[in-house]
Amino acid sequence: MKKECIAMLLAGGQGSRLYVLTGNVAKPAVPFGGKYRIIDFPLSNCTNAGIDTVGVLTQYKPLELNSYIGSGQPWDLDRANGGVHILPPYMVEGDKGSWYKGTANAIYQNIGFVDMYDPEYVVILSGDHIYKMNYMKMVQSHKNAGAACTISVLEVPWDEASRFGIMNVDGEDNIVEFQEKPKQPKSNLASMGIYVFSWQKLRQYLIEDESDPNSSNDFGKNIIPKMLAAGEKMLAYRFEGYWKDVGTLESLWDANMDMLSRGELDLLESSWPIYSRIPSAPPAFMGKTAKVEHSVMTQGCDVSGSVFNSVLSDNVVVEEGADVQYSVLMPGVTVKRGAVVKYAILGENVQIGAGATVGGDPMDYDPNLWGISVVGPGGVIADGETVAPNTMLNRCHEEVHR
Amino acid sequence: MKGLHGLIFAYDKYPALRELAEHRSPASVPFGGRYRIIDFMLSNLVNAGVFDVGVILHGNYQSLLDHLGSGKDWDLSRIHGGLRLLPPFGTVQHRDDSTFRGKMDALYGVRSYLENIRQDHVVMTDSDLIINIPLQQVYEAHMASGADITCVCTAAPGGAVEESTYFELDQDGWITDTIFGIRTPRQYRSLDIFILSKQLLLDVVEECGGHDHYSFRNAVLQNMAGQLKIRAYVWEGYSAQIRSLAEYYDRSMELLDPAIRRELFPKDRPIYTKELNVSSTYVDPDGGCTNSLVADGCTVEGTVENSILFRGVSVAKGAHVKDCILMQNASVGRESVLHHIIADKNVKVAERRTLIGHAKYPMAIAKNSEI
Repeated sequence: MKKECIAMLLAGGQGSRLYVLTGNVAKPAVPFGGKYRIIDFPLSNCTNAGIDTVGVLTQYKPLELNSYIGSGQPWDLDRANGGVHILPPYMVEGDKGSWYKGTANAIYQNIGFVDMYDPEYVVILSGDHIYKMNYMKMVQSHKNAGAACTISVLEVPWDEASRFGIMNVDGEDNIVEFQEKPKQPKSNLASMGIYVFSWQKLRQYLIEDESDPNSSNDFGKNIIPKMLAAGEKMLAYRFEGYWKDVGTLESLWDANMDMLSRGELDLLESSWPIYSRIPSAPPAFMGKTAKVEHSVMTQGCDVSGSVFNSVLSDNVVVEEGADVQYSVLMPGVTVKRGAVVKYAILGENVQIGAGATVGGDPMDYDPNLWGISVVGPGGVIADGETVAPNTMLNRCHEEVHR
Repeated sequence: MKGLHGLIFAYDKYPALRELAEHRSPASVPFGGRYRIIDFMLSNLVNAGVFDVGVILHGNYQSLLDHLGSGKDWDLSRIHGGLRLLPPFGTVQHRDDSTFRGKMDALYGVRSYLENIRQDHVVMTDSDLIINIPLQQVYEAHMASGADITCVCTAAPGGAVEESTYFELDQDGWITDTIFGIRTPRQYRSLDIFILSKQLLLDVVEECGGHDHYSFRNAVLQNMAGQLKIRAYVWEGYSAQIRSLAEYYDRSMELLDPAIRRELFPKDRPIYTKELNVSSTYVDPDGGCTNSLVADGCTVEGTVENSILFRGVSVAKGAHVKDCILMQNASVGRESVLHHIIADKNVKVAERRTLIGHAKYPMAIAKNSEI
């Protein structure tokens, strides 16, 4: 059945810059903010914006992501007509078919899926951003301008502009030039990796791009430059509000801390809810010896130690005398008696032994040597063991270097 | 087919629950920070593989219907079976009193539903029970014993004596007498969970309906004791029957004991409830929270001690909440002091208010009140 607009969510990347955290799961399935996974943000944005058909393109270690999405019911995306669909690469006649070669190729391989809904517009999303955004406002701007492609952009500080894909625009926010990570940026409008395309236009460019053997079949590298070169109407849509790419360990930690400070990213605010699949567990318990300050926690937590400036996901246990500061604890983590965890990210079900020390305060270390400490999901730190700042361990307790 | 069918009686009214049951049936009274009382029995059934469940309702059930919805939160929204809500059918004769007089009355009212039960056995329970019991084991014990009816009971003290049913057991676990309305408790208190075959259920409903006998206890457990083999299943774990405000308060506060929480919330038998999308709970640098159960979506900027906070509660700076139960979306203004208070949903306590109840007589504040 025809839909005016559907969304395609690119969730197949490995997320290699999250290292041990994505050893067994795709990046969009990485826990965030105590109750969420990264993919909850784009999925909830779709639902809140009124987009009820979402294709999720998966490729890398999709099992946990698939079971998390399930029927899509937590996001109200279990629909009779539309809803959420998992789209892995598949074989076609003549033993053809291939892995998704790039972001554009992933959509190319699913032209058949998009055509089933015959949409006017397709919103292309990534699975590694934390933000609240009404995509339909962007679609509306796209319609009003009669654009072929609209790219949402964010004003970033000028000194950071060279880290982003930068859009140079004219007085009406038409994109005149695109520069990937320019040394001398001419503008500070950074692409957020969110695109609206008029489907028939995009369809045509995808087919052309596929027949170009030199193309890496990527939106940023190939499709956008080709459309610009061909003189298509390309609009920049200015987004205001919180947006963060959580593709690195530091940015993931930062975004969790941003959520704590409840500034621009206020998840308690109820007008634009972020939905998630909620495990069944009793309310959090704070024991007689618990000291909790400027932290969030969620159901199933059991805290008797001290927790300062930290994010506790479901079923985290912090025993008496343990001290957790400036850290992100993913579901099922246990910090035993007397252990100290500072400036760390602990993956799912990590166990920190009694009296162990993980990470440290930046004040106490040479700034060149200091960094966030990370223990991958399932890792076990023995009683009394020390994991220095800036160290990363995988589930087998092997050190992994960035 | 073999197996159990669940029937939950959710029509009882307990005036002693006062404000808590003013706008809702006792089954849907909030409990334990994020649950309703009926969640425990629904979850027990689902955890025992019972996916056909009828809930018998009568009056004041708007809140319960809102809570249960399609049953999907308990995995009971199924193509075949699943959750069936059973308000009184047209078949029950009209009477002036506002509810069923007893279980047989209620069962007679849903007779056509009972006839269509697919399973060969039925487990009947009340909806005032806080328990996490592996019903599969009770069912297996019932089948192994050759009993006609198995009644779950406890030897633990508790419950309102005059409202409780007690059993006398012989040394082999058969029930020799059923007693109620007495002042001195006997050893085995009924938890009002019964297992019997569908056929026997239909027979006794027919028999009792024909004689206008409305009490299961009286008409079946007592009067048919000669014909039926009635057996006890003595439950040794935790249980609580919530029938009065004092009991509600005491049993809620017991949840602060980790041993009781471990019994009620084992990882392999979760208690399900209607999910709400709320954020994590935030504890401010100026706030403090000890010996308390805190559900999601709360903002704690004041001090909270020995309390239970439901989802979305806010406690403002300088406020002090001690020995309290604050239900969903209740808010406490700056520098207010609350001791031994049960604040129902959406209660708003303004700034600098002092509300003090007593452990023996906690003060309940009705839903939506502003103080």
